[in-house]
Amino acid sequence: MRAAMPATDSSSAAAPLTSIGRSIRSLRRDQIPPAAASPDLEADAFQRRAADLLGDLLASADPAAADLLSLAWTRRLLDAFLLCLEEFRALLFGSGAAAAARPPLDRLVADFFDRAVKALDLCNAVRDGLDLVRQWRKLLAVAAAVLAASPDPAAPLGEAQIRRARKALTDLTILMLDDRDGGGVVGQRNRSFGRCNKEPRAHGQGHHRRSSSGGSSGSGSSSHLRSLSWSVSRAWSAARQLQAIGGGLPVPRPNDIAATGGLASAVYTMSAVLFIVAWALVAAIPCQDRGLHANFAVPRNFPWSGPVTTLYERILDESKKKDRKNSCGLLKEIHQIELCSRHLMEITDAAEFPLPEEKDAEVREAAHELVQVCESLKAGLDPLERQVREMFHRIVRTRTEILDCLSRSNGTE
Amino acid sequence: MDRIPIPALKSSSFSLAASSREEKLARNLSLGPIKLNEIIKDARREGEGDNAAGEDAGGGEEGGVPEEASEPDLAALSAEIDAFLAGRGGDAPPSISEVTLDKFASAVEQEMAQSEGADDKWATGEGGEAPTLLAAIRRIAALASALTANHAEGATYTIGVHRVTGVLHRAMTFVEDEFHGTLESASHGGDPGSATGRSMKRPPSFGHGGDPDRCVLPSSDGGSGAGAEPSPPFPPEIVDRLRTMAETMFAAGYVTECTQVFLVARRNALDAAMQGLGYEKASIDDVAKMPWEALESEIATWIKAFRHAVDAGLPGERDLCSRVFPDEALGRAIFVDLARCAMLQMLNFTEAVAMTKRAAEKLFKVLDMYETIRDAGPAIDAFLGADSSGDDADEGSGSGSGSGSGSASDRIGSSSGAVADLKSELASVRSRLGESAAAIFCDLECSIRADAGKQPVPGGAVHPLTRYLMNYLKYACEYKDTLEQVFREYHRPDADEPDGGEGGNPFAAQLMEVMELLHGNLEAKSRLYKDPSLSSIFLMNNGRYMLQKIRGSPEINAVVGEAWSRKRSTDLRQYHKNYQRETWSRVLALLRDDGVITVKGHVQKPVLKERFKQFNAAMDEIQRTQGAWVVSDEQLQSELRVSIAAVVVPAYRSFLGRFAQHFSAGRQTEKYIKLSGEDLEAIIEELFDGNAVSMPRRRT
Repeated sequence: MRAAMPATDSSSAAAPLTSIGRSIRSLRRDQIPPAAASPDLEADAFQRRAADLLGDLLASADPAAADLLSLAWTRRLLDAFLLCLEEFRALLFGSGAAAAARPPLDRLVADFFDRAVKALDLCNAVRDGLDLVRQWRKLLAVAAAVLAASPDPAAPLGEAQIRRARKALTDLTILMLDDRDGGGVVGQRNRSFGRCNKEPRAHGQGHHRRSSSGGSSGSGSSSHLRSLSWSVSRAWSAARQLQAIGGGLPVPRPNDIAATGGLASAVYTMSAVLFIVAWALVAAIPCQDRGLHANFAVPRNFPWSGPVTTLYERILDESKKKDRKNSCGLLKEIHQIELCSRHLMEITDAAEFPLPEEKDAEVREAAHELVQVCESLKAGLDPLERQVREMFHRIVRTRTEILDCLSRSNGTE
Repeated sequence: MDRIPIPALKSSSFSLAASSREEKLARNLSLGPIKLNEIIKDARREGEGDNAAGEDAGGGEEGGVPEEASEPDLAALSAEIDAFLAGRGGDAPPSISEVTLDKFASAVEQEMAQSEGADDKWATGEGGEAPTLLAAIRRIAALASALTANHAEGATYTIGVHRVTGVLHRAMTFVEDEFHGTLESASHGGDPGSATGRSMKRPPSFGHGGDPDRCVLPSSDGGSGAGAEPSPPFPPEIVDRLRTMAETMFAAGYVTECTQVFLVARRNALDAAMQGLGYEKASIDDVAKMPWEALESEIATWIKAFRHAVDAGLPGERDLCSRVFPDEALGRAIFVDLARCAMLQMLNFTEAVAMTKRAAEKLFKVLDMYETIRDAGPAIDAFLGADSSGDDADEGSGSGSGSGSGSASDRIGSSSGAVADLKSELASVRSRLGESAAAIFCDLECSIRADAGKQPVPGGAVHPLTRYLMNYLKYACEYKDTLEQVFREYHRPDADEPDGGEGGNPFAAQLMEVMELLHGNLEAKSRLYKDPSLSSIFLMNNGRYMLQKIRGSPEINAVVGEAWSRKRSTDLRQYHKNYQRETWSRVLALLRDDGVITVKGHVQKPVLKERFKQFNAAMDEIQRTQGAWVVSDEQLQSELRVSIAAVVVPAYRSFLGRFAQHFSAGRQTEKYIKLSGEDLEAIIEELFDGNAVSMPRRRT
């Protein structure tokens, strides 16, 4: 029996604190060196760290990774989030432990984790989105493999090869349109198209489908590939989720900041980082009911408000660009898929066979780009998905640890 | 290969019928705007000028028959193609005319057109030979690969190569459509748990957002597939057909196209099967908001669906994959992909449940889920199999004719990664549930500590906390093995807890701690009673209840151990003694001739009178108060009464026997001797009945 546990309802403040301290020791044993600094200093350091991490995302020494919304950049974004979360956790378990169990910080911490839980669904939706992009890549890979590689490099591309590539690219385009539709970014434009393709599924008859939709090359087969199911419920909306994460984020009041040794600001910082990361992920990756309408503004007086605002605005600008407005994801590589496949479709449209030499060379060059996009997708998708998963798990773990710790201290009061 | 000279050099005459048929085919087979047809027509037109030559080259089978009938039939052309293909291994490769190639290609197209809509087109012939259409498509695939394999040869048959590969592509599109159609339509008759009615019920596109109809799905198709009996998704003849088509597509290098169609169709079918079992996707947010009663039934559904997936659904898919796909490793990789998607989706719900606010009542459902996942482990390991290592070949550099095969090995390469991911997700979910269960159980401590009510239970009865906790612990001990496992593996002890205390069984240690806490809590509560006798009765009641529960359940008894029960029994005896002393030693003292009643052989009548008066008053008081006390355990009640009667009744009888004679009969006796021995027995028999109303006094 734990003698230290008060057996009665002692309301002395010391009781919860000792029990928190104990849990912290056990949790921190192997992770974080004990912190001696005051909460104020640590909270400030945390805010500056967040500012640095976000700032790095805007200007990077590595030009490959500096590319806003590329796969590599998105991975760095997640790295930054994970680092922030880790430091936030250390802060709460360190000098913040005492304050976190007391109002007003307990309430603020609980609010942060409510928002973080909403980000979990987003992680799942993003994972679905990455699955979708992976499916696109397969189609792209068919085209790339057909066009870029020939048993004899000197042999010109034949009709069948072009046709096969075009079919794959048409399927791809339709899938992307389908998703964009579903994503709700564009609205109704392709609805009727989508429904027409769906109809045969409703009848469940392959024959029927084929005879009813035998239009242009590829569209007949597109419905084979459509509608990979999302793992979230149908009514779920990424746009609404973003609003729930970032909406009404309470800017800490000066007396709260003072009363919590600056920790109220740290919680606010973490919430803002959570929002901007979630928002950027939704911007980049196809999601169910994607939408970037969530308004977000932070007061200027936080060290990280500059980078957060810049990040927000730059992504928003990107989403407003003419050629990106209707995209199903702002991920650079998605754009490249669109460009590459459109280019290839254009140059192979109404092709005469055999292809004239310069045309053949043009197609091969475009195919080469296709191969490169495929390769960068192949290299980047799996690690990104793992990171999204890691984000999920880390949020869950951190939440469990901290809420446990808080409830334990409350439970023994 | 050199550039193909644009106009074809020679060709045969083409009937009008043939080319219009071709246009029809082009429409039906979704041909695009590519202009090969034009080229061929040009060639034909040119060929028509000097037509006879071409016809002769074609084998001259036409004779003088009218044009429509003069086309050599597929069988004859096939024989010619076969001969051409068979001869290619030799020293002098045979040649073949462009006309034959073209005619053969047309014949294959015609075959496809004819089989459109025919149900038996994939059926194997009576002698076991491949269906005509299939043989034709395979032949043209072989021909295409032969013609394109060798550059020099390809250059010889310029138009022929284009014509043949073009038709091959159409054939592949055709087979892909058929493949898809078979996957979609045949599954309706197969597994009752799969795709049935899915597309009717589901909205045709992704969510519009707020449309409330979207989340309301009719439950009519639920439940039908609930039995966890491994049911193959398709009947064997359909599987054979699918395999045939897959083989055909693989042979032509259309691996990715084939696998993608398959994967999407089966993913959606699995999804629908889960819905058929009543399992609805719910976001973590939804689960967090769900009231416990609703979530409880969702969990039950989840368990059913998960078991079905593990026991029947996924093994069925695995069989299907291994039967449909000729390449074993590829089939496995496709299955792993399917399994991963299906499992991750189901585990999402589990994560969500593990994340809901902890509450004591959730323990058992959490443990149920934990056991479900734990017990599914061997089955999952069995169908995921040992990690296969595939090399991560680069698809971009795959060879031309097998352009899909690069992607196939890419899939295989990532499948061991997918298996590892899935296994780690399973382990993570399992540990999350385990941690949650351990934490919920540990929270009992808090709820005991929190129960510090100042209001004693009337009559010293069993406290609701005792009742609740003991029943809870008894129920929990039905999960003893699981809880022990969970505590060993996932419990994070506080730093001050001795490691591996209590014989290395942290669950038992925790349970004992709860019992000790409860015991301590009850002792504290017993002090709320002003009457020490009632305190003892309260402790006796509660201690007895605890012991009964422990003895009534072998599981909890095994954890608690005999020593503890013995100790508690000793405590109980002590409470009993305390009670006897507090209540009855005073009464017995009144009946003792302790040198005050009889002094030097003379009975002191006033003292005797006083003793009787005191005794009567004491019994009155005891009857009034202790009749209202509660001992609901019949055995304990009768033990108490017997033990009281055993000391008090003989003492009173003997006291009566000795001193009753000193009162004069009548008024005096009536005044002082109010109770007979039987009356006393009757009073004792009515103690601890919980009758709050004071009983009418008994008079003789």
